[in-house]
Parts: sequence; structure tokens; C-alpha cells
Amino acid sequence: MGALADKLRALEGIVGEAHLVTATEGVGEYRVEGQQPVGVVSPGTPEEVAAVLRAAAEGGFSVLLRGAGRHLHLGAPPEAVGLVVSLARLGQIVEYDAENLTITAQAGVTLEALQRAAGERGQVLPLDPPGGDGATLGGVVAANLAGTLRTRYGSPRDLAIGLRVALSDGSLVKTGGKTVKNVAGYELTKLFVGSFGTLGAICEATVRLAPAPEARAVLAAALPPERARGMAGELLASRLEVTAVDVANKAGVKRARASLPLTIGPETRVVFVGLMGDRTAIDRQERDFRKMVGGGCARLEGEEAAAVWRGLREGPYPTGPEAVVARAAVPPASALDVLEMVTGWEGWWALARPGDGFVYAGPPVGCEQAETEGRLANLRTMARESGGRVMLEAGPVELKRSFAVWDEVGNLDLMRALKEAYDPARSLGCGRYLPGL
Amino acid sequence: MVDKKVRRALEKVVGRQNVLTEPADLLLYSYDSSTAVGMPEAVVFPGSTEEVARVVKACAERGIAFVARGAGTNLSGGSAPIRGGVVIALTRMNRVLEIDEKNLWAVVQPGAVNLDLQDMLAGRGLQFCPDPASQKVSTIGGNVAENAGGPHCLKYGVTINHVLGMRVVLPSGEVREFGGKVLDHPGYDLVGLMVGSEGTLGIVTEMVLRLRPLPEDSQIVLGVFETLEAAGEAVSRIIAEGMMPAALEIMDRQTIAAVEASFPTGLPLDVEAVLLIELDGLKESLDRQAERCAEICRELKAREVAVGRTPEEREKLWSARRSAFGATARLSPAMLVNDATVPRTKIPEVLRKIQEIERRHGVRIAKVFHAGDGNLHSNILFERGNEEDFKRAEAATAEIFRACAEVGGTITGEHGVGVEKVKFMSLLYSPADIEAQWKVKSAFDPQGLANPGKVLPERAPTGAEA
Repeated sequence: MGALADKLRALEGIVGEAHLVTATEGVGEYRVEGQQPVGVVSPGTPEEVAAVLRAAAEGGFSVLLRGAGRHLHLGAPPEAVGLVVSLARLGQIVEYDAENLTITAQAGVTLEALQRAAGERGQVLPLDPPGGDGATLGGVVAANLAGTLRTRYGSPRDLAIGLRVALSDGSLVKTGGKTVKNVAGYELTKLFVGSFGTLGAICEATVRLAPAPEARAVLAAALPPERARGMAGELLASRLEVTAVDVANKAGVKRARASLPLTIGPETRVVFVGLMGDRTAIDRQERDFRKMVGGGCARLEGEEAAAVWRGLREGPYPTGPEAVVARAAVPPASALDVLEMVTGWEGWWALARPGDGFVYAGPPVGCEQAETEGRLANLRTMARESGGRVMLEAGPVELKRSFAVWDEVGNLDLMRALKEAYDPARSLGCGRYLPGL
Repeated sequence: MVDKKVRRALEKVVGRQNVLTEPADLLLYSYDSSTAVGMPEAVVFPGSTEEVARVVKACAERGIAFVARGAGTNLSGGSAPIRGGVVIALTRMNRVLEIDEKNLWAVVQPGAVNLDLQDMLAGRGLQFCPDPASQKVSTIGGNVAENAGGPHCLKYGVTINHVLGMRVVLPSGEVREFGGKVLDHPGYDLVGLMVGSEGTLGIVTEMVLRLRPLPEDSQIVLGVFETLEAAGEAVSRIIAEGMMPAALEIMDRQTIAAVEASFPTGLPLDVEAVLLIELDGLKESLDRQAERCAEICRELKAREVAVGRTPEEREKLWSARRSAFGATARLSPAMLVNDATVPRTKIPEVLRKIQEIERRHGVRIAKVFHAGDGNLHSNILFERGNEEDFKRAEAATAEIFRACAEVGGTITGEHGVGVEKVKFMSLLYSPADIEAQWKVKSAFDPQGLANPGKVLPERAPTGAEA
């Protein structure tokens, strides 16, 4: 106990008394999957983060990095949570270069703050992960989170062009830069994006922005399953410039809280088309879409469109601590087959993003775990048949313990060699990512 | 030259006809399109992943370096075997194995030529976005190894944004699959590390590329300006108004002169800049955008503004830009090509510096740039065989790199570090940053046999404090 107190005092020496909270002072809100950390330390600068990581590695702590805590449901149950290192205090926008469509901000800056800054200059950060704009840039980049806009704009893997990362040896390194084109050295940015805080702490990121569109609209059509499948394929192969294509079953529509002037029965799928651009382009695409549908199609604009779009964005976000959300990643043309299979299960919701080959799905409230697990296994088998896989994004700890969260993956030896190189003390990540990372 | 035993081992893998060891043959593989040179000890032409793997394994067992090579269009020395060893030429592996129109992917071998793939795709209304200027000859494997760019990156991104998965022969000779056909493989982004690694982490023998439907239509606006600043300002206003052209290209007076001397297209010779704006997308938005771009050019006192709407008109306007590199090479076959890149708005500042460097060193620099993404190609002409002249060109290059790094730019936007830019890496990265990159190299290639001497400066001794 004395040893622990000494180690915590060392951390306190780095960040100051006010920014270390120990278990005895109450860290309940920082519990992860039922486990309580021994302390929460909140460094205020990238230099402090680096020093904290070094001290934590030397002290033998198991470190969980944290932003706003909006996506802590992602990952396997932790082996042990020692120290939570919160990056929430890294709250500065370092440089907003509007003319070059890039913004550099610290890890703790929320998407909301970034959108506000960009909005003032007629720009947007084209990232809309589920969980709202309260999430931090660092977290979104570390977990490579994206949403409905991904088909058009990509994920953080595409949008992040430079990082500043603290490593567990106490060094602070720069990857990439501020230009879209940059091939000087290895693409370390890609290595850290999506590494879930297992290799280092992303303290700062430079990301690309996009011009804000003149207008947004959502088109929605209720179709029988076969027609919906054809429609998704036709839209994505067409030369239209749709921003988002989502397809939902009845429970999926309800989950997205989309109130639509359409009749939706159990045998209906709703195809949502998100459009951004100038009005002439939106009108033209609506005409084409109506022709493809050959009938009823709702066009939503303004606040109505925004509400539906928000609903689609939030659809995959878990509704509570016990909620189960799975994500299948399959070839784009197979996404609607997966949606159909899930729809065949009593009460299951499904939301497909065929542009990227993702299908989010989950059981109805109160579904027995055994049944859920059986269904998820079927889903995984089906996804694997087409070269895909299924990740369990959220679920109760017991389910996560019996159903592999990340699915199978190859090249673990190489990944472990990278882990060993960047985090030899294995202090980062708490075992929430792949085995050994 | 490799000894007989090694030669026999290589012949056993790929067949006698696919191994070169005669000095005259080796000479042909001793250089690429840069100034770097190094004699290989053997050149092999494997025909399959398995053969590549066996060749690499044979090298690994004997501690022989190996260098992968495509069409040899590399502009930084990435494919020159500066430390000898075996050149693994992938030109026989040039097949497009699969084009899936429904899932929008293609599976290709590394030796497939970029433009050949584009032609196959265009017939189906599809494209692979990266289209570097070298696309007529450069291979997809090379494009991936260099993370190639091209003129369309502001809107469509670079190669790394369009690669889903790959088959890789590791420096040990093992064959692996990185990524795949679906998105978001769990685990570290090994595909992301391989793209742009210049053959120093292994050899890619098959790739899954993400495709896009071709845009419905495109239009070209060409503005002729009295000053480079005015052309640059036009670019700024276009972007500030929320337009996202597919390409924004600027040529300076030297380049215009070179183009007109070789491939006359009727551009005036007494102007400082030609700006070419390519817009693509839905027909309905294009007319309005092209009109607005033309207006911006006129507001900025462009001497001439032309709009190309039909394919013929567009081709005519693009042709000058496309021939720029060849035309400059005709003026002076020897030139140092560089591709430093800066945040776009820093272009005027850097251009002034480059003009000053030009004067001070008494060199001629032809400038062409991808103005949308800040990628400057300042081609420094020199007289072949004139040592003094070459030294001046090198000194000017170094100063240009420094100037670009100072404004937050990079030393290479699309050509790679190769050999030529290794010594400039420290302009961008601290010793700790470089060490972080070395960790990747040693995880993949502990023996250091994959394209040695490229990308990274010598590693600091272990234990050195960063």
C-alpha cells in the first residue's frame, strides 16, 4: 500500500494535487466494465502526458486512456484497470488553418467545439460517430470512429494527417504533418489511428475539414426487401453523389426515431439517402431517386432532415449499459443479405450502411443471453462466409467474456512486435484490445 | 555479382530465363528515374507470390539485400539498389485478377500498369482514384509502395485512401495477408504502414483496391495570369467559396515556355502563370461552378479565361499541363526533380523564396504545381556531366526543402524519400520521431535486408536519449 502511495505521489508531482484523484477519494464514475481504477490522473499538457505515461510504465500501472468516456463500451473486458489517464484537460485548438481546410487540436477537444469553430468559417468536420458531439477528438481518432458520412468522407484513418503522440518511454513524437500529400517516412499516423490507446497517447491531431454544404436533405423510401437490396446497389454504382445510404428494418427505423410520412410494415425496409450539396444537385438527385423507386419517396429538409439524420447517426449507439450492439463488416453487396437475416429474428433491429459494408444490429430488450449469443454466432458465421467479420461493440461483461469481441485476426505476431517496440512494459490498454496488444 | 550457388538457387525458383547476372544486363537495373545508382548482383523476375517468397527467403537465409522494382519510374532513388543485392522485378506479375463492379473493388498484381487498369475500369464506368503523372508506365505496386499522389488529391485523397488489403511477402520470406476486402480489420493498420514504405518492410504481391464510379461529367476552366500571386489568389477564393475542384494546377513562365517550345498549344509566353481548374461531378452543379470559377479569374484580372465543356475542349486545355514534365525534360534532360509540399496558402511565400534561391545560385527552375494540395514541383535544370552545375542544383534543392519545412510543409508529397531525401528527414523530424519510425522497420525487418539505405537516416545508437 505504501508503495502504491509513493507511486501516486510521483504522478501527483507531475500534474499537481488537483489533478490526481485516488480510489479513496471516489473514482466510481471512472469504472470500466465494473472495474474501478486505483486513481485518475489528468495531465494538462502533452509534456505532462508523456511524463505520466513514463511514470506509469515505471510504476507498473496498467493504464487506460480516456477522453469524454463516450465510447468505453468498445473493447474486451479489461484484464485490470490500474490508472485512468484522462486527456480531457488537453482542450486547446492549436491551429485552425481554415484556408487549408485543416484543424490541429488537442486530444481533449470535443467534436462539438471543433464543429463550432469550423462552422464559423463555413466548414465542417466530416465525422459523425454515434454517441454525439460530446466525444473527444483524441478518442475518436484512437478508436477510428466514423458514422453516416464515412462513405463520402472516410474515417479518421483518412482524415487525420498528423499526430503528436506521447509514448510510454516519456518521449513525445510527431507523425505526419499538415499537408494532405506527405510521404516523408512511414505512415505512423495510420499505426496510431485505431490503435485504441495501446501504443501511445494521441495528444494532438491534425484533421482535414470540408466546406459546409449549401443544403442538406434526406430522402426516404419504403420498399419490399428485394427492391431495397437492388436500390442500394444501384445508388452506390451510380454516378450520383449521395453522402449517405442507410437501410433499416422496421425496428431499425424505430431505433433511429425517424418519424416518416411512410407506411412501414414488418416486410418493409426503409432506404434513407442523405444528400449534401447545392440545391440544384439535390433536386436532380431526388428526381433520379424517385425514378429508381418508381413511387412513394419522402423528402425531408431543414430541422426534419437534421432530426432523421441524427437518428441514423445515433442508431448504433448502445441505449444502456446492458445493451447489445454488434457490427458486421462485410462486402458492400452482402450488407443487405445480412440485414435480411437479422430481420428474420424476432424483434432484432438492423441498420445497414451498404456503402462501407457495415451492418449494425442488436436484440430486443429482454432477449435471453443464450439466445443473443446464438444469434450473434450465426451472424458471425454468415459474415465470415463472405470474407467479413463481426465485432461486438457493446454488451454485458458476461456476453463479452463468452463471445469474442473483436473476432479473429491474423498477424498477431507482427502486431505484438509493434506493441513490444512502443510499449515494452505493456502498460497501455488494459488488455481491452486484441490479445497481447 | 552473386556467386554460382546463389545464382543456381534463384534459377531454381524462377527458371533460368528469369535471372540476369551479366554485367550489361545488371547495368539496366542499376538506376531508376532519379540520380541514384547502384549495381545489383542479380535481377530476378518472379511470376507468382510463391516465387517472390522463395526468392526473398533465399536472400534472407544468406543475408543478401533485396530491392523490389516495378517500372523504374521512381523519382527519389527508391528502386535503385544502392547497396547491391538482388533486384526483384515484378513486371511479370502484371495481371488484373478481379474487378468487382458490385462491391467496387479490384484485385491486382503489383506489376499492373496504372493506366492499363484505368482503361479496363473506365469501360465499366469506374476508376481507381490515384492517377500519378507517371501513370502511363508506373505500376500499381510502385504507386502503393510510394503512396503516390497525382493531380486529384485535394478531392480524392492519396493512394493510401484507396487500398483495402494486400498480400505481402515479409523480409523473412513468409507470406501474409494484411487487411482484406472488407473495412476495419481489427488490430493495427498494417496496410497503412505498408503503403508508402518504399519496399523497406516487405514486398506487396497482390492488392485489393477500392474503386469509385467515374464522375458524371467534368469541365475545365483555364485562366492566364500576369502574376503567380493572382493565380494563387484565384485558388484561395475558389476554395473559400466552398467549391472542391478535382484538380487545381499552376504552371509558371519557365514551364509554359518549355511546353510551347515542344508541344505548342497556343499559350502566351509573356505571362507568369497559367491556372487550370478541373471540376467534376453532377452536370447540374458544374455549369454554375465553372461559371463562378471563370468569374473569379476575371475578377483577378486574368488576361484570358477559357472554359472546356466537351471532351475535346477539355483534352486540349489539359494537354499543356500533361506535357509539362516531358517538355521541361526536353529543355534539359538532366534535372533534379523535387516535390516538396506546403500548406496551400504558403505557396506565394515559398515561391518568392524559390525565385530568390534561383537567382542566388544561378540555376533555372521550372515550376509546376498542384496548387490545390500545395505540392510544388520545382524542377531544377542542370547540365549533365557538369559537376559545378550539379552542385549548384543540389544546393538549391536543399534550400528549397528548408524553406518548405519552415512553413510547416514536407520534403516529399508524393515521390518518396528514397535515397535522395534521407539527409533531409531531420528538417521534419526530431531524433525521437525518427526512432519511432525505426521501431516499425525493426519489427518488420530485423535483418535490415529489405531495400536498405532508404527512407530513414542511420539509427541512433541504442540507449541514446531522444
